[in-house]
Amino acid sequence: MPPIEADGRAKDYWRSIEELYDLAPGSSRLPEHVLRTVWDTLSETSRRQFLKALGASIALAGLAGCRWPKEEILPFARRPEGRTPGVLVHYATAFELAGAATPLLVTSYDGRPIKVEGNPLHPFNLGACDRFAQASLLELYDPDRSTTPVERTPAQRVTRTWEDFAGSCRERFSALAARRGRGLVILAEASSSPTLARLKAGLRRKLPEARWFEYEPLSRDNEREGTAAVFGVPYRTHFALDRAKIIAAFDADLLLAHPAALSYARQFAAQRTAARGEMNRLYAVECAYTVTGAAADWRFPLAAGLIGSALVRLLAELVVNFDLALPPQAGNLGARLTSALGSPLDGLQLRALAGDLRRAGGRGVIAVGPSQPPLAHALACLLNEALGNVGQTVFYTPEPDPERPTHMVAIAEVAEAMRRGEVDTLVVLGGNPAYDSPADLEFADALRKVPVSVHLSLYEDETSRLCTWHLPRAHYLEAWGDARTYDGTISIVQPLIEPLFGGKSAIEVLSMISEENPRSGYELVRETFDGSVQDPDRERAWRVALHDGLVEKSAFAPAYPAPRWEMTGEIVGKLLAQNASERETLEIVFGESHASFDGRFATNAWLQELPDPLTKLAWENAAIVGPQTARSLGVETGGVLRLSYRGRELEIPAYVMPGQAEDSVFLALGHGRRSPAGRGSGFDTYALRHSAAPHFDRGLKAIFTGRRHRLACTQEHHLIDALGQRGEAQRLGRLVREGTVEEYRRDPEFARHRVHEPPLRSLWQEQEFSGHRWGMAIDLTACIGCNACVIACQAENNIPVVGKENVALGREMHWIRIDRYFSGSVERPRVLFQPVACHQCEHAPCEEVCPVAATQHSQEGLNEMVYNRCIGTRYCSNNCPYKVRRFNYFNYHTHPPEIEKMLHNPEVTVRSRGVMEKCTYCVQRISAVKVRAGNERRPIRDGEITPACAQTCPTQAIVFGDLADPQSRVAKLRQSPRAYAMLAELNVRPRTHYLAKLRNPIEEEKSA
Amino acid sequence: MNVPSAPFLFPKWTNLLRPALAVGAVAVALYAVIIVSYGFSPLTTDVGYAPEQPVPYSHALHAGQLGIDCRYCHTTVEEAAWAAIPPTQTCMNCHETIRADSRKLALVRQSSATGSPIRWVKVHDLPDYVYFDHSAHVNRGVGCVSCHGRVDRMEVVYQAEPLSMGWCLDCHRRPEKHLRPLESVTDMDWSPQEDRLEAGARLRKTLNVNPSTDCSTCHR
Repeated sequence: MPPIEADGRAKDYWRSIEELYDLAPGSSRLPEHVLRTVWDTLSETSRRQFLKALGASIALAGLAGCRWPKEEILPFARRPEGRTPGVLVHYATAFELAGAATPLLVTSYDGRPIKVEGNPLHPFNLGACDRFAQASLLELYDPDRSTTPVERTPAQRVTRTWEDFAGSCRERFSALAARRGRGLVILAEASSSPTLARLKAGLRRKLPEARWFEYEPLSRDNEREGTAAVFGVPYRTHFALDRAKIIAAFDADLLLAHPAALSYARQFAAQRTAARGEMNRLYAVECAYTVTGAAADWRFPLAAGLIGSALVRLLAELVVNFDLALPPQAGNLGARLTSALGSPLDGLQLRALAGDLRRAGGRGVIAVGPSQPPLAHALACLLNEALGNVGQTVFYTPEPDPERPTHMVAIAEVAEAMRRGEVDTLVVLGGNPAYDSPADLEFADALRKVPVSVHLSLYEDETSRLCTWHLPRAHYLEAWGDARTYDGTISIVQPLIEPLFGGKSAIEVLSMISEENPRSGYELVRETFDGSVQDPDRERAWRVALHDGLVEKSAFAPAYPAPRWEMTGEIVGKLLAQNASERETLEIVFGESHASFDGRFATNAWLQELPDPLTKLAWENAAIVGPQTARSLGVETGGVLRLSYRGRELEIPAYVMPGQAEDSVFLALGHGRRSPAGRGSGFDTYALRHSAAPHFDRGLKAIFTGRRHRLACTQEHHLIDALGQRGEAQRLGRLVREGTVEEYRRDPEFARHRVHEPPLRSLWQEQEFSGHRWGMAIDLTACIGCNACVIACQAENNIPVVGKENVALGREMHWIRIDRYFSGSVERPRVLFQPVACHQCEHAPCEEVCPVAATQHSQEGLNEMVYNRCIGTRYCSNNCPYKVRRFNYFNYHTHPPEIEKMLHNPEVTVRSRGVMEKCTYCVQRISAVKVRAGNERRPIRDGEITPACAQTCPTQAIVFGDLADPQSRVAKLRQSPRAYAMLAELNVRPRTHYLAKLRNPIEEEKSA
Repeated sequence: MNVPSAPFLFPKWTNLLRPALAVGAVAVALYAVIIVSYGFSPLTTDVGYAPEQPVPYSHALHAGQLGIDCRYCHTTVEEAAWAAIPPTQTCMNCHETIRADSRKLALVRQSSATGSPIRWVKVHDLPDYVYFDHSAHVNRGVGCVSCHGRVDRMEVVYQAEPLSMGWCLDCHRRPEKHLRPLESVTDMDWSPQEDRLEAGARLRKTLNVNPSTDCSTCHR
């Protein structure tokens, strides 16, 4: 039950536990911020520096003020055909992460890539893109990337050239060839590249005794194992969520942390349209809160170790209570199933889910997450089969390379072989095993025993420092390659720029060490393509593939293998046995980091500053604990815990997360890197990871050290004190509005009826708008809070990164923030996301208070920021009811390295210190389309202008357009009964409207 | 009743305040005049700026005497924001055979042979904060001559107009004076048969020219 306030009103939406219970009210929170601010900026030394700088700049201004600087124009001596200086060109390419590709369309401005977007021609993502692929652009221009091959001896580090390396490996590899490759181990990161597979096969033929391993710290191998157990060979599971009526996610973050998440998110959101009468229903049983859990209509927090038992209970419910008939081979499970129904399982009830799945008649999906053991995946396969989902909403494709050992086995074998001295040459193609292998393998120590080790990577990282050779890797935007999306469709990875630091790709290095005449990446990829293409006109086929960004009909063929039903008894028995494990200690759970993935993006400042969707933590990770667990540990958010597990210890601050499974501690991997690049961001949780239980385990002990650590959490920024909150609750309408499908059917306009809106009268003369009236609609039903829009906006609008200290002070610069609201109880809250950017109010309060008219209204209704006029009073920000204006407290662009300037979008001004900024609805994109349409003497088409956020949104929750055109999508959405304006009662007339969120709750909870 | 104490008298030095204030007022007025006249003077706006170019290219010869259309070299002007300076190749189209060994063309030949660009000096240099688009103007009937002056008579290109914000706004508010039929955009000599403003008003209608004076039209 939510606590009742003095006036008897329940707080139905709250942003944090502190807000819910009125802990740490404004009186203690605000002064700390204010004090720190004053302290930081006005300490004696910095004041003196300021005066000095002031004097110097006046002197310089006197010298330079007389004449504009002389500028030069350097035209091409020979302009490439089709190239127009200053005109954007787009190229299709692909970004590969852990063996699965995201098809991309990358924008190039005069030869430098400046924006990464999804490929609109590719059916996989239709233009949508996730945060990792978009932020990979920053990596390209990272001045910390390694620039030359480096040879290391125990004594020193010597800078070498590629020729040096080629010379040294020619000798080495001819000696290896004489021994048929014995002693050679290649450790590669997961890759779907057909060219790499071809080179690997070639190497195997040539050096049959060489060993090839593949390792990813976050892998989907449990699914491989599980499907191999029931089908005989490993299969990859695919879902057709656009056909599914009922989706059950068991610790599976289908909408964000899945190789096909972009596809799934779009399919899922497309089925959440109550207006058409149909709405799917998503169930989530999970340990840590994920965006899938937040999107779910029904969510239950359950320790990761109990998820397997939950699946057995689902089977039991289906068989016992809903007469699901299993084939006779499954044997008699009667007693086991009855006992499964009887076990407590923290009060988990799955009857509603079982009933729904049964009624869905094969239009259901049961998905299990990658951290769950193989048996859970095996049982999910059986359940999907028994329910008739396979063939309708579930299908399989054979896993490529079925013979390879799992990643955990592989890395353990490599470490063991190195320790035994069996490895005399180790080639590490990408990855960073010295950092991200489980701690018990002591990979780093073993690596020191290898006489010659070669590491190819973008940075000189932890592994590079232990290898005898480090080779700079070419970024994917610099090198030819190929990759497959999750469904197997091949995309050609097309470079947009020459390697900035002279790096080489994995396939080029492989060719260098294994072939007599090393070939270029282009030749290698082209050879693979020519070998596989059916079209007799290969050149044409190649050009089509490059242009479209995909090779037609290259997806894996769906398969419908028959499961071995006779294994049912064994699977059920083993899963139930896991349930019996002790519960004296805490559960330790590892998972991917929203910011760093597995650690590879720890150097990427865009991602590090991106607040996690659920915890809203930036720059760091924390030990996520549930509220009850926190109480029993005596710790609050920010209190440092000492975790001990299997003889290893780690100190890490706690973060109390409502809805986290109790007695279970979630640790995101991939922070706390030790190499100079990326150091200092978070805590290295790999230090606790054990190869025997890489995903979760019992046996964790935690104690509160009594110390506190300052975490940078963005959700409480702009939060006012308790008194203010009470006023907010009494006087303001609901900022977020949601309802159930039933409510919607009864009263489609429920969202508007949530608040009583008084008649609005203006104090001022109304401004007349002519021509286009730009507007935006954000559908909260579709928004899953994935953060893709935040990164898209950052890349498009040259938004700086401010660092952890400044984020903690509330000075982050993101033009969009995604507010996270909880509702319901602390133990089982629901989560609601609401993206908030500038609403472009027609009666903008910011404009009224600007003393220098630096913020103005355009005829088309854009609330414009004129940076040159702004003197930084910040009155506008103070007067903005949405709190979306951002202030440049420092010059975040002072003398950037030349290479970082290449990143900037030249169509958007780079702002300096003392200037206010905010969302412009991507006015540069509006202008570009207006100019183009005007030149072609035609009206602007609806949908032709898409701001960066709307362009990338995987669920198409954001729609932009012209409100003056009644046929435009945005105007129609504005007419939707669900549409409402946030803070409409202030009569600010926002141009952005929200569409209330709809949920489809189960019968038992409909009243809630 | 209390006897009122001696009335307050301003000390004697305050007598100096009046002349001091007068001097101050004159100084402020002078300052304003200087600032304004300096701000609008050609010295500041750079009208007449004619830097020496690495190649003594004469627009008067090429565009004037020979009558080569602007778009022969500035090919991108109708489709892009920039009216790009032509690549060396464009020069060599003719100078491969015409005056192939002129001393003045040494740098052009060298650039063509080595592929290294000629370093032209930018004459019309807008502040970085201004986003000007050539195509948007040329396709709406604003002639080259309106902003660049009589380039066909310039031996050395110089800045003919102030290119200040007020100057831009003059035309954005009343474009009629500068509009011409699209086919005459590059014609330096064009003048309407009828009254300039009447012709402009008619063209404005047919070409649907509605220039905006919103800040974001040029600044973003």
